[in-house]
Amino acid sequence: MTALALALVVPWAAGAVLVALDGRGRIVCWLCVGTLATEIGALVALAVQVLPGRAVHSVTGGWPADVGIVLRADSLGVAFALVSAVMLLAAVVQSIVEGVQERTFPGLVVLLATGLNGLFLTGDMFNFYVFFEIAMTAAYVLTTYGGGRRELGAALVFAAVNLLGSSVFLLAIAGVYRVTATLAMETIALRMADVEPNAAILIAVGFFIAFGVKLGLFPFHFWLPTVYTGARPAVAAILSGALANIGAYGLIRFGAGLLPNELALGATALILIGCASIVYGGVLAVSRRDPAETLAYSAIGQVGYVLVALGVGGPVGLAAAVLYALVNSLNKTMLFLAVGVRGPLISAVFALGALSVAGMPPAVGFLGKLALVHTGIVAGSPALVALLVAGSALSFVYMFQMYQREFWRTPPADHPSRWPLQLLPAMLAVLVLAAGLWPEPLLALSRDAAALLSRGGR
Amino acid sequence: MNLVFSLAAAVLFGAGAYLLLKRDLVRVVVGASLISQSAILTLLASALTRGRAPIHPLPDAPVSDPVVQSLALTALVIGLAVTALLLVVVDRVSHAYHTITQDDVAASEAAREEALERVGADAEALTE
Repeated sequence: MTALALALVVPWAAGAVLVALDGRGRIVCWLCVGTLATEIGALVALAVQVLPGRAVHSVTGGWPADVGIVLRADSLGVAFALVSAVMLLAAVVQSIVEGVQERTFPGLVVLLATGLNGLFLTGDMFNFYVFFEIAMTAAYVLTTYGGGRRELGAALVFAAVNLLGSSVFLLAIAGVYRVTATLAMETIALRMADVEPNAAILIAVGFFIAFGVKLGLFPFHFWLPTVYTGARPAVAAILSGALANIGAYGLIRFGAGLLPNELALGATALILIGCASIVYGGVLAVSRRDPAETLAYSAIGQVGYVLVALGVGGPVGLAAAVLYALVNSLNKTMLFLAVGVRGPLISAVFALGALSVAGMPPAVGFLGKLALVHTGIVAGSPALVALLVAGSALSFVYMFQMYQREFWRTPPADHPSRWPLQLLPAMLAVLVLAAGLWPEPLLALSRDAAALLSRGGR
Repeated sequence: MNLVFSLAAAVLFGAGAYLLLKRDLVRVVVGASLISQSAILTLLASALTRGRAPIHPLPDAPVSDPVVQSLALTALVIGLAVTALLLVVVDRVSHAYHTITQDDVAASEAAREEALERVGADAEALTE
């Protein structure tokens, strides 16, 4: 309860202050890091409370549950909040080491953290939308970070497309309120079962489009490469490592938690779209030369796996979807932060990243791929397993092509970056390795989240 | 009443989608904000109930649903803020690119990509 309040209030208050201060100064930068670290501390405390399958509830302002806004932390939300917060912290520290160029940068990252925490830890659908918009608005501004032509073009595309996605999300919320007359997610989950199927399917499609746009799934991916390559690497790391979690979390929470019947109905379509994403992302990533562009297409491919696992469903499939979404966010943050940096440590980071994206031990990506293949076997579909293996092979090809181009062909001692710059991606790489060698915490979180969803989100 | 609201929302959405596909960036922003207005209208229409104003102490007669009104207000404020932000981005883009049509932005992006391809090909030829 205290941890839940702290995780929301600390970044909110600090972000409102920090955004007004000059973020180019050292003190403001380290205040931002301190805020994020405090938030992570609160989230860890929360994770310890919710891990044995409990949920922490709180109604704001002490109102009765139907009147006040419900805050709710469970293992699914806390897992996503924790991973996103760590990724944000990594991206911020990297930019501070590099030298912050714009005064609002640290404050905006903290506000983005507020939005993410709020939406991962809410039990109210409209509250989800509000925090989602806080996070998105901060992200629109962050995309312009650097202020060059490419950054501005990327921000324009990003904001216009995602504003459309948000409107579709709002339309779906209106639909849900119309048929269930409530905004509390737990009540919606109960009442959704009796809703007329046509309306329910329309609502489910609305949510799918809204989160598909955020996530950059195959038919809605068109904005993603422009934005991820146009923005600065640190911002691309924030977008792909923290912000894209909204899409994955939303699909899992709204799909499996609130609309399980519609999810089961659309399972085949989801698996097909996921497969299309995997193949499209993989093939285009192989054809690209620019590392940021390769990673952007790789991001399109990787979210396809989450969708496939979600489509298969069941405890195994949902656990795999949660696990893979978290693992992917870790991989992408590490790689995007390493994109502009050179040196021996970074070369090691890229090698590990290649192993992790392709799903080889000892990197954490192996766990994700293992869970996915397990899902394919449980679904009893050899075609799915074959496609997963082919997708991994594609990832291996593009990751090693990139490694070869960036670190083998150019002489290694060309322009090694400063050591502090190399250190942070290396620390994330240690995290990837550690999570791969000691996977129990991640596995427990994802299993717990899947069990929670199978129980109907309670 | 539902029909009027849904028609209005549909027209707004259609007009917004049309403008969103225009080349002029200011029209794109107007299109995006029209679509968000259409969503807000739908939100309002999702609980059209006739009744007394829901002011405490509640009357015995049925009250109209206040929830969607507050939702619409919140969404309007968010929409206003995001539209303002988008306009600022368009302004900065127009300064950076000296144009406010999408084509020119896309063309200079394409030129950059082509240059990148050429550099990549040259580097490859050099190393082989």
